[in-house]
Amino acid sequence: MRNPWAQTGNYRTSYAQDTTIFANYREIVSIGLLLIGLCLLPTFLERSQVLVLNFILIYAIAVLGLNITTGYAGLISVGQAAFMGVGAYTVALTAPHLPFWLTIPLGGLTAALVGFLVGIPSLRVKHLYLALATLAFQEIFVWVVGRSPALAQGAAIPVEMRNFLGLEITFRNHNYFWYYVILLTLVVLVIAWRNLLRGKYGRALIAVRDNDRAADAMGMNPGRTKLFAFALGALYGGVAGGLLAYMQRAVVVEEFTLVRSVALLAMAIVGGLGTVVGSLLGPAFIELLRLYVERLSEWMKGNALIQSITPAGVDVASALLPLSFGLVIVLFLMFEPRGLYNWWRLIRSYFRTWPFKY
Amino acid sequence: MKRILVLGLVAALGLALAQGRTVTLLWSGAITGPTSDVGGPYAAGIEDYCKYANEQRLIPNVTLNCIVRDDQYQNPITQRILEEALDRSKPAIYLGYSTGAMLQLKPLIQEVKLPTIPASAHIGLIDPPNNQYMFLPVSSYSEQVVALMEYINRTDRGARIALVVNPSPFGRAVVDHARRAAQRLGQTIVDVREVGGGNLDNTALLRALDAAGAQYIIHQNVAGPVANILKDAKRLGLDRKIRQMGAVYTGGSDLIRLAGDAAEGYLWASSYYTLDENTPGITLQKQLAAKYNRSADTLNSTNYTAGMLAAAIAVEAMKRAAQRFGGRIDNETVYQSIIGMNGPNAFKPGFAVSTKAGIEIDFTRSEQTGAEGLRVLEVRGGKFVPITDPFTSALFRQVRNP
Repeated sequence: MRNPWAQTGNYRTSYAQDTTIFANYREIVSIGLLLIGLCLLPTFLERSQVLVLNFILIYAIAVLGLNITTGYAGLISVGQAAFMGVGAYTVALTAPHLPFWLTIPLGGLTAALVGFLVGIPSLRVKHLYLALATLAFQEIFVWVVGRSPALAQGAAIPVEMRNFLGLEITFRNHNYFWYYVILLTLVVLVIAWRNLLRGKYGRALIAVRDNDRAADAMGMNPGRTKLFAFALGALYGGVAGGLLAYMQRAVVVEEFTLVRSVALLAMAIVGGLGTVVGSLLGPAFIELLRLYVERLSEWMKGNALIQSITPAGVDVASALLPLSFGLVIVLFLMFEPRGLYNWWRLIRSYFRTWPFKY
Repeated sequence: MKRILVLGLVAALGLALAQGRTVTLLWSGAITGPTSDVGGPYAAGIEDYCKYANEQRLIPNVTLNCIVRDDQYQNPITQRILEEALDRSKPAIYLGYSTGAMLQLKPLIQEVKLPTIPASAHIGLIDPPNNQYMFLPVSSYSEQVVALMEYINRTDRGARIALVVNPSPFGRAVVDHARRAAQRLGQTIVDVREVGGGNLDNTALLRALDAAGAQYIIHQNVAGPVANILKDAKRLGLDRKIRQMGAVYTGGSDLIRLAGDAAEGYLWASSYYTLDENTPGITLQKQLAAKYNRSADTLNSTNYTAGMLAAAIAVEAMKRAAQRFGGRIDNETVYQSIIGMNGPNAFKPGFAVSTKAGIEIDFTRSEQTGAEGLRVLEVRGGKFVPITDPFTSALFRQVRNP
């Protein structure tokens, strides 16, 4: 019997071992430490920095959903922002009548239902054609919201929660309160994600992604699996949208356009498709990159030397941000298509096998 | 040793007092990304006016810390920038930008009681709820569109009008008010179309509006899509049949640059003076653009004027707050100064036209629109030329709250 604390790999000898949520004890401990760190993190941050953290975690939930649909089931979706929107608008409409712990799951379920319907074309079309179908849904969503007086035609619907179990939620503690709610939601959804993927439904997703005819021959139902993937991915998106609605105190349609869908897809690619770690690293990387490039851009604007050497009429500082985003995505696609997850895997592997190379 | 330390401290304190305090003014908007053609010059206007205010010491013993930041037209970034500023520099006033972000931030702005002057003139910003601290520098988009309909009614009763609006809350803001105004004026809204950027061929749109019998098209959009529609109307020979006009962000030098001679005859509702008018505000604009090496495009942009006006209102409110509250300049005193900016205390910087009562910018607790006067301008010989005296829409007050 190997010492479970000292093992340098996964030495699984049974199906039961193969379906555990956590690979080994060390993983449980490291996840526990990570969670403690995340719980303590806001105490070291400013209120507005917690806001950035909240956005990262919300996008991580949405990217997790996208990773189920695209990363695991291989169904390209460029409509994740619309699913977020479905969740957000459900929350906006129900928030005056129901507590947040009901409205957010309700948002997720509504999005799942819509996801199920949107997934129907996936029974007939694949690859780019499917991407186009989801793109159509994305545009239809924005169009419908824009023409629905009940949804303020895309203008803001306030989503305010001033009190929770006697705790007054004000500007001062709003971000902190929602940080813990979002973190808890993320933890629950990550566990659910891992739990799903270790079972037959998760394996069916992978099987259908790799070869749906072979999966069919093995007794799986590719159609049902695809619809399941869409519904589940949308559920995650809907929950993320609901949380975003509370975080931003209002819902406006501009948050849920194609641009956001593409940004979520970029986060999934940069993080590493089909991985939990990638779903967390991608949004963190993109949002922090935005923050630091923004700082660099502002520094460049204020720097006389840089201003003097750039050609007249060319605003390099302003162009820096969009340029860097495009560049990062292209570079990842070219040189590290497996995303940041692969770096994480290599680093982890280095420490696990240290002092040996392999 | 102790004596030297005390002397040093006294000297440092004296130096600090001589330099005065620093008060923060925050603006965030789209310097890059969608609508940056508006946001860029708007930001430049704010920056330049702030530099001028500091150089001229417009607020005695106070140095303005003008934070001008690019939110790329993304609401989460706008929210972050605002919250960051609230944490770090506690702005006394916030000059906002886009319709979506401003509508979204209303509850937060209300909670932190921060006077806000957005670039967006969406009427929803000053409508309840959470509207107490929102102030529009000029008349709302809805008021501009209703004013254009009133203008049409002067010469053509029972006109048939089509609305072409941006596919966003910014564009749709005017539709309900326009419908109500048309009903009262006996006009017919024959169609409402949503057109955004990238409208490279508008043949189908224009043919459909022509078939519907539209005599006038009123635009609520930005200059780009309007310019394309004007060019297509000229190409199709519909420019003489259908008269086109629009609210504030549809016009200006950008439209003329983009549409060329197709812009001739276009009517524009605007509260701002043009560069050809030698008002104090416009003269200052020209001086500052020359002083800070702004390009001709920036100087000619109405959005540069708009940015300056917003900054001028903010600086004036701070100055009055300092005078009225013993040097205390914060969100509360600035708010009091803004709502006191009326009657004999109205503000007249010379960037916008005055109403018949001679008032340029005024606010009260309940009247949150600054420049209520506007004119209709027409493109003649490649320039916008005023064709009406300044007027205030009489009908808009009736259709706003029917």
